Amino acid sequence: MSKPHITSAYDRDLEAVQAHLMKMGGLVEAAIIDAANSLETRDEDLAEQVRRNDRQIDEMETRVNEEAARLIALRAPTAVDLRTVLTVMKISNNLERVGDYAKNMAKRTSVLVHMTPIEGSASDIRRMAKSVELMLKDALDAYIQRDGALAEDVRLRDREVDQMYNALFRQFLTYMMEDPRHITGCMHLHFIAKNIERMGDHVTSIAEQVIYLVTGEMPDDARPKGDKTPYMAEPRG
Amino acid sequence: MNDMRIVERDVETREIKIRGDKVQVFYGDNHAIKDVDIEIQDKTVTAFIGPSGCGKSTFLRCLNRMNDTIEGCRVEGEITLDEEDIYNKQVDPVQLRAKVGMVFQKPNPFPKSIYDNVAYGPRIHGLASNKADLDVIVEKSLRRGAIWDEVKDRLDAPGTGLSGGQQQRLCIARAVATEPEVLLMDEPCSALDPIATAQVEELIDELRTNYSVVIVTHSMQQAARVSQKTAFFHLGNLVEYNETGEIFTNPKDPRTESYITGRIG
Ligand SMILES: Nc1ncnc2c1ncn2[C@@H]1O[C@H](COP(=O)(O)OP(=O)(O)OP(=O)(O)O)[C@@H](O)[C@H]1O
Ligand SMILES: [Mg+2]
Repeated sequence: MSKPHITSAYDRDLEAVQAHLMKMGGLVEAAIIDAANSLETRDEDLAEQVRRNDRQIDEMETRVNEEAARLIALRAPTAVDLRTVLTVMKISNNLERVGDYAKNMAKRTSVLVHMTPIEGSASDIRRMAKSVELMLKDALDAYIQRDGALAEDVRLRDREVDQMYNALFRQFLTYMMEDPRHITGCMHLHFIAKNIERMGDHVTSIAEQVIYLVTGEMPDDARPKGDKTPYMAEPRG
Repeated sequence: MNDMRIVERDVETREIKIRGDKVQVFYGDNHAIKDVDIEIQDKTVTAFIGPSGCGKSTFLRCLNRMNDTIEGCRVEGEITLDEEDIYNKQVDPVQLRAKVGMVFQKPNPFPKSIYDNVAYGPRIHGLASNKADLDVIVEKSLRRGAIWDEVKDRLDAPGTGLSGGQQQRLCIARAVATEPEVLLMDEPCSALDPIATAQVEELIDELRTNYSVVIVTHSMQQAARVSQKTAFFHLGNLVEYNETGEIFTNPKDPRTESYITGRIG
């Protein structure tokens, strides 16, 4: 990383806030995996635990933001230090949102465990969640290593998550049309898939923050948007 | 990145006020300024920053030929004010310094009354036709120097009897009294408390609507607050010169970054 500050307490402050952000990132990664596993293994206790643990993620966000605000007030950061503090604040916000989506997955899982399972869907969802969790892991690694290329790679991988979502969406639609008794379960599963797709967007935003941190510029080229499947049921105009 | 503060005060397009071309300064064998090219805009506050001894004051003094008065100092290259070479033989340095005013690092009031310190410039340049006019100029200048309230009841007292911070504000009042086109300020706030500093910064921002202001400062926060352009000097070189917002968020040169972020460079 960059050279040390003349005032070493400044380095300690910056390290502390980033360490807390990484700890928060670890909790969020675990929440994604646990939520997906609880759905696949129909483990209501695990789902309940994910819901409870979200409080901790929210508290971490508050803490990270307070530390960042303090750093701005006391140290008036500039240049790369300023970008560090700004990205810490944005990433903590993204992580908190991902945590919320995991919590929502867990809530729906608590309902789904009492219904007839829809064949194959839970493992597809787990795979999708695993991809997002890997993206998050790489985005956080890219942050720590200040690795713009890895962040760029994460950004591009979001497209695969979108494709998985589109495939699941079609699959759920087919099930619902085949048998209306599947509608409630499929609606929950669809919202779960949608939540994971949204997580991917937040992780992409984290990757973009890493690029801003490293280069000083936000990546400007819009990510390629492919399939329009999710919009096909929406009214025109 | 555009400096968004420019929209705050309505300022028309900025022309180049001062242009330096391959400027070199030597003190005997000491090569203090090396090949500096710079364009300083009108109606803009330009901050010079850099570590102690990098040549900020030296370069600032070139802009109104203050270096002429220093024994053994030699200036090479070209410096123009409104496209006119200020080192041309025809240029009268005294006239030049009325146009390009200066506030020094150390306050240097004349050993005269507060009133006369400010009235001196306007008198010799014939800016007032009678005492009443001069009174108006003196009051206005002292107000702009953010010191009027403290001295209005003792204008006849000697300027040297004021506190250090008050003396500095008196010198600022004296510098603006002749309505210069360019104001050079060498660490004008180093002896001022935060309130007087804020008042001087407000004055600088106000002056910018009509003048070009160049300020040397060791306070990164001050440079960031008052200037639209920032020049970073290092070992006599002009390393980086850009919009202030850009310098403080995304400097291009690692030496600039180390300096402004307070790193061991
Ligand atoms: N009057 C002088 N006679 C000889 N050398 C000088 C004189 N003034 C400055 N120098 C030299 O020129 C170089 C630049 O000095 P200058 O005063 O311009 O630096 P500065 O950037 O203004 O520093 P500071 O931030 O400490 O005021 C230094 O090496 C200094 O020793
Ligand atoms: Mg100096």
